[in-house]
Amino acid sequence: SSDTALVNLLVLSFSNAGMKEKNSATTASTLGRILATCSKQAKDYGSCVASIVHEIEKDLCLKQFLALKSCMQHTVKIMSPRPSSSQTSVGSGALSHAYIQHPSLRCNVPESRGLFYDDANRLLICVTSSQVFSWETATFNPDVSPSVDSIPEGPILSVRFSLDKKVIAVQRSDCEIQFFHRETKQTLTHKCRAGSESLLGFFWSDSPLCDLAVVKTSGMDLFACDSAMNLRLVETKKVNVNWYIYTHESRLVLLASGLQCKTITGFQLSTAGVVRLPKFEMTLASTESNSKPIISAGDVHLVTVYGRIYCVQVDMEAMLLHTYRFYRDAVVQQGSLPIYSSKLSVSVVDNLLLVHQIDAKVVIIYDLFVDSRAPVSAPLPLLWRGYQGSDTSPQAASKENESPESSTSSENIVMYEDAWTFLVPDLILDQTNKVLWRVHLDLEASWLAISASSSDRTSLLEFLQRRKLEANKAKQLCLGIARALILERRPATQVTQAIDVLVTAYSYSVKAGIYKELKNGKTTATIPTNDGASPDNERGRASGSSLDEEEEEVEMNLPSGPADEQQESQLSSPAISPDELYKFVFASVEEMMVEESDYLVAIITEFLRSISAEKLKVDLNIYVMTIRLLARSKRFAELSLFTANKIIEPSKEVALQLLESGGQDPRVRKLGLDMLRQLSLHHEYISSLVQDGYYLEALRYAQKRKVTSVRSSLFLEAAFASNDMQHLAAILRVLSELIPGFKETSEYYTFHGLLNETSSSVAV
Amino acid sequence: MGNETKSNGASSLGGGGGGFRAKMEHYVYSGEKKHVLAGIGIFTVIFGIPWYLMNRGSNNHRSHQDYMEKADKARKARLSSSPSPSSDNQIHAVNDPLTQGFPCPYKHNSAMSEPVAQSFGLCLLGFILKGFYEILEAMGMASMNSSGESLKLCVFDLRRGQNEGQELDKILFFYPPDVTFSTQLSVIGLSEGLITFTRLFSPEAACEVIEAERHSHVFHEAEPDIWMVMVVEKNKEIEAIWRVDALQKVLKEVHSLFVMFHGSIRSLLDKEPSGGLIRSHLYPFITDYLNDLSVGKKLQLPSFRETLKERGTVQMLTLARDAALEVQSLVGVLDSCAGTLRCHSVILFHDLLVSTTLSPDDTVDLFTFSVMRLTSNALSSGTSSWSYLRKGTSLSQTSSKSTSPQLLVSSDSLPSGNGHDAGRVIRPLQHNKWIKGKDGFLVTDIWGKDATPTIWLHQRQERVHLLAYQQKCLTLVLLVPTEAIVNGELDISFVKHQVIENATAKILKVEEKLSKGWGGENAYHVSGYRYLLVDNDMEVSRASPSGKVATLAKETLLAVNKLRETVDTEKSRTKEEKDMEICIRAKNNAWAIARVTRGKELYMALEKASDTLLDATDSVQSFSNRYCNGTFSMD
Repeated sequence: SSDTALVNLLVLSFSNAGMKEKNSATTASTLGRILATCSKQAKDYGSCVASIVHEIEKDLCLKQFLALKSCMQHTVKIMSPRPSSSQTSVGSGALSHAYIQHPSLRCNVPESRGLFYDDANRLLICVTSSQVFSWETATFNPDVSPSVDSIPEGPILSVRFSLDKKVIAVQRSDCEIQFFHRETKQTLTHKCRAGSESLLGFFWSDSPLCDLAVVKTSGMDLFACDSAMNLRLVETKKVNVNWYIYTHESRLVLLASGLQCKTITGFQLSTAGVVRLPKFEMTLASTESNSKPIISAGDVHLVTVYGRIYCVQVDMEAMLLHTYRFYRDAVVQQGSLPIYSSKLSVSVVDNLLLVHQIDAKVVIIYDLFVDSRAPVSAPLPLLWRGYQGSDTSPQAASKENESPESSTSSENIVMYEDAWTFLVPDLILDQTNKVLWRVHLDLEASWLAISASSSDRTSLLEFLQRRKLEANKAKQLCLGIARALILERRPATQVTQAIDVLVTAYSYSVKAGIYKELKNGKTTATIPTNDGASPDNERGRASGSSLDEEEEEVEMNLPSGPADEQQESQLSSPAISPDELYKFVFASVEEMMVEESDYLVAIITEFLRSISAEKLKVDLNIYVMTIRLLARSKRFAELSLFTANKIIEPSKEVALQLLESGGQDPRVRKLGLDMLRQLSLHHEYISSLVQDGYYLEALRYAQKRKVTSVRSSLFLEAAFASNDMQHLAAILRVLSELIPGFKETSEYYTFHGLLNETSSSVAV
Repeated sequence: MGNETKSNGASSLGGGGGGFRAKMEHYVYSGEKKHVLAGIGIFTVIFGIPWYLMNRGSNNHRSHQDYMEKADKARKARLSSSPSPSSDNQIHAVNDPLTQGFPCPYKHNSAMSEPVAQSFGLCLLGFILKGFYEILEAMGMASMNSSGESLKLCVFDLRRGQNEGQELDKILFFYPPDVTFSTQLSVIGLSEGLITFTRLFSPEAACEVIEAERHSHVFHEAEPDIWMVMVVEKNKEIEAIWRVDALQKVLKEVHSLFVMFHGSIRSLLDKEPSGGLIRSHLYPFITDYLNDLSVGKKLQLPSFRETLKERGTVQMLTLARDAALEVQSLVGVLDSCAGTLRCHSVILFHDLLVSTTLSPDDTVDLFTFSVMRLTSNALSSGTSSWSYLRKGTSLSQTSSKSTSPQLLVSSDSLPSGNGHDAGRVIRPLQHNKWIKGKDGFLVTDIWGKDATPTIWLHQRQERVHLLAYQQKCLTLVLLVPTEAIVNGELDISFVKHQVIENATAKILKVEEKLSKGWGGENAYHVSGYRYLLVDNDMEVSRASPSGKVATLAKETLLAVNKLRETVDTEKSRTKEEKDMEICIRAKNNAWAIARVTRGKELYMALEKASDTLLDATDSVQSFSNRYCNGTFSMD
């Protein structure tokens, strides 16, 4: 297994290099050079993996792996003239899957009294004694200037804007919320009964029933709020609440009660209405030292991945992270992840769960889609990166002139500071520096790490196909993997599986309307990015719970606000169309596979089968290529079989290729001729017939179909060359009937004259 | 009728025949055996001269004009579209549409083309030989009236036994085996004489057939100087009417099957020049093969009843695109079952070919063998045998069991004095020797216990191991290169394991798909038509199901037989592929129509008595458009 891992690693970086260089001819030597340069590191890593192959943890050979990777990256970088992936980084080893990137969002407000995040509106809010500054974080543009509102002075426990952003609600104390209308400057104060209950918090809702939910120790009050800012109590949910958590993206509020706070009551306030989830208990291990541990609000996180809502709960005693999945009428525990730190937080980037092991200062990435609870990659530190120099990202390009600032700001970043707050889904608020970061994922790095840890390219492709954020990069990586699989002459079954993954993913995304051709010129703004659209079959497979098939998911109607769009990426889906697969995979490897066209034909057949099963169409050039390959290896019998069974779909281009390949075998040429005739391509058919010397048949055909576009001299010259005056005379006769005015042309005179010379008794 | 079958295109020269025959009698009728070769020499001189003159391209108005007149007459008949009841089988149209539509002044003046001259010459020659042979026959030298056996089949090598007294050395195989050596020698001597004689005129292709009063001699030069000759008795029974080409195909088939299993005859001769080896191989092989042809106690040769069948071609299953892709996907898996060396495979469903990765020639051989011995129908031998090829002899499948002991008894009495007794001779065509094993693979002990059969691929010039796998009606024949099998049975079982592991799912899927689309025995029946479609390039044919062909009247079948003979003659005249259309009105007013276009042939019998020729050609046209992609649509 060490061998496979090693080979994988090498090959991947090799194909990576090849991809960047766009010069496939040099890839072989590239690999050679990489191998030569990094042989020691490769050996070290390999022997390390081999020695601990039975161990469970993934990061045991981290040191060796890092050495090898950086060596290979270095080699690749040296060899590729363009510094395409050059980036300034801090942190050791410069390797990570997750990073925060300059520029950050800064809140340079003097006298700031606190930073808040309104996840419903995705606003970063900074308050001073009498002012509220709010920044849009959806676009994450550091240039954006905050909007400023004045509010009366007073303590501020939390701030949330209403969903239409007309009202600012400020929690002043544990029993008072104040509302300020931004336009009418109207003010309203809501108080709860002091003493008997205290206010825990509030949030705005877009459910039809209510606009505002206020969570108190005695339960949750739902209010409707009209435009004149009158609050009307709609419903009260009576629960004893110790603490609550709510995320707007899941519309789910969890109310914790009980001594250990492990009894959870959940409500979903979605556009479909208010749904009460069944009450459930969280799992908590008890130890001797702490027989009754208590769950705090910070231990529970709501996570939305692939349109499913999970709750992850920290069990510090057991050092486990329990996951629960919410269905409409059930909550199912899904398994547990190990934790390596006493402090923990989670983010979600691109449907991947990032578990920040804060004490250890590393991130572990999990893909909750698949059954296994194994991490996607080894734990690696979170990195800080400068802007990407030559990247195509417009945001980065526009910010290039601010690079000096970034270098200055980089110095005071301390990873996983105590003051860091992890916001839903992927933001980090640095309270001390008053900076907001967004967590990014380095797809290439995680891809490399995954492939190093498993040789299963199929699951790797599946993983990449699920990526949405850096769709373009994921797509390129997928293409690279597919190419590499073929170039490595992997067993056809493996390649088939990989192709199936790509084709089904494409087919699915077309059906779901996610995939849009780039040339349509449509922006991503029109594309729904509804996370709830995970395919049914995959959903069933992923959780393996019997409940799953029977019950609908809670979050069926998850809204997709405009804020969900990923505007820095041009593509919304890494799906690869069959045409692209042909162009970037098959066509590009054809030259290198000259010696093994049999293999390539087998792969193409599988590809055709796959797209035919999905009822997709493909560029007909792939058929032309298939013919070329079959003819090259002289498999004419199969070629005729392919044509007869319409595996190679008939078209003009295909027919012409058959004619061309038929130079070596007249039977193949006949296939081409037949195809031309069946396609009613009269002109080409007649020309080819004449070319083969069947000028009489050609003329007969022309006469029958009234085809006059073929040069008449073709027939005449052919007949004259065959020295058959009888035929020549007949042809002259037919042509003069077929083509009006033929008798006046010079050709007629020429050949008529020739005829007369040969025989004096001729009379046409 | 006997007269009818005898006339082999030479009837136009009927007038002159008597003279030749008289002269020949004068020279040869001395009654001495020795004079036969001398007589041949004399003929060579006498008739070589006119032949030479003819070949110089001098005018040959007579024959050519005959031909053109005939064509003219036929054209008129066709245009009037009223069948003339005068003769029983009349050629109505030899269609050359271009000249037909545009009468050309050159028609009668043009110099005779080379093929016509040659064919004229051969006709003449054939006629001479016929006369010559009849004399021999009358003299009792050919001794054809032995033991009521209607068939003689021999294989001999012209390079052997050149010296007097060693003639026996020539004989490699003779059937029936129980005839005396002198009879064998006389048959072979005669055949050799004819071959030597005709070679004088046509060194490239010596004689193909000699038709005599009571016998037909069918020749096939299987390998250079190795000849197979079949002598069939012209019984007065009407069933004994055959097409020479069909008989030749039998010879070709048995030879190419032999080569597939044992390699070429010449190579076996080279291996052991005494000839014992080849004799010990040929004897059981051809006997086993002939077993398949036997009905009751007689051998049933392909008669006119089987005229809408083509031996030596493959019948294919038509596949929808998605099924074809599944099949190819399976083929891809099978290809890689032996690691890096590519395997070949042939897949059959029932008795139809689904896919092949072999060249057409090899495919035909393997297909023929599979249909004979491997497919589900062949395994359940006799119980419900259905096949394009062998429906007509389905009775023989059951009856052969009773006859085979008879034939095999004689195999024990095989002349072991041939000097070869080294080991067992493998008999690949033995009956009832294949059984389906537990793992789905077909096993046999023909090649010895636990030994895997090997066959010789002609195109790739390599020997391969043959593995057959069966899933219900789906039969997979996997050919593994011998280089891939280093450790013998160990590697074989590895390949088997690979097949089961990697391909089982796909095999099941393909089987399911094909079964769903399977139209049954009569899937390729087109109501109202009885047809045969042949693609000579791919060696593929398709025909009306034999059950449907059997409903045709005898006259119709005879007409089709006649038609096919005509086309065979036309085709042999010219190497160039050309278009032609021939329509024959049979005695019972049925139409027999042939269309030939660039390597593809369509034969059709239409039994609607009221049809005019125009109706008939329209029917052919619509058939062509509907079922042949318009290949035969010419007008």
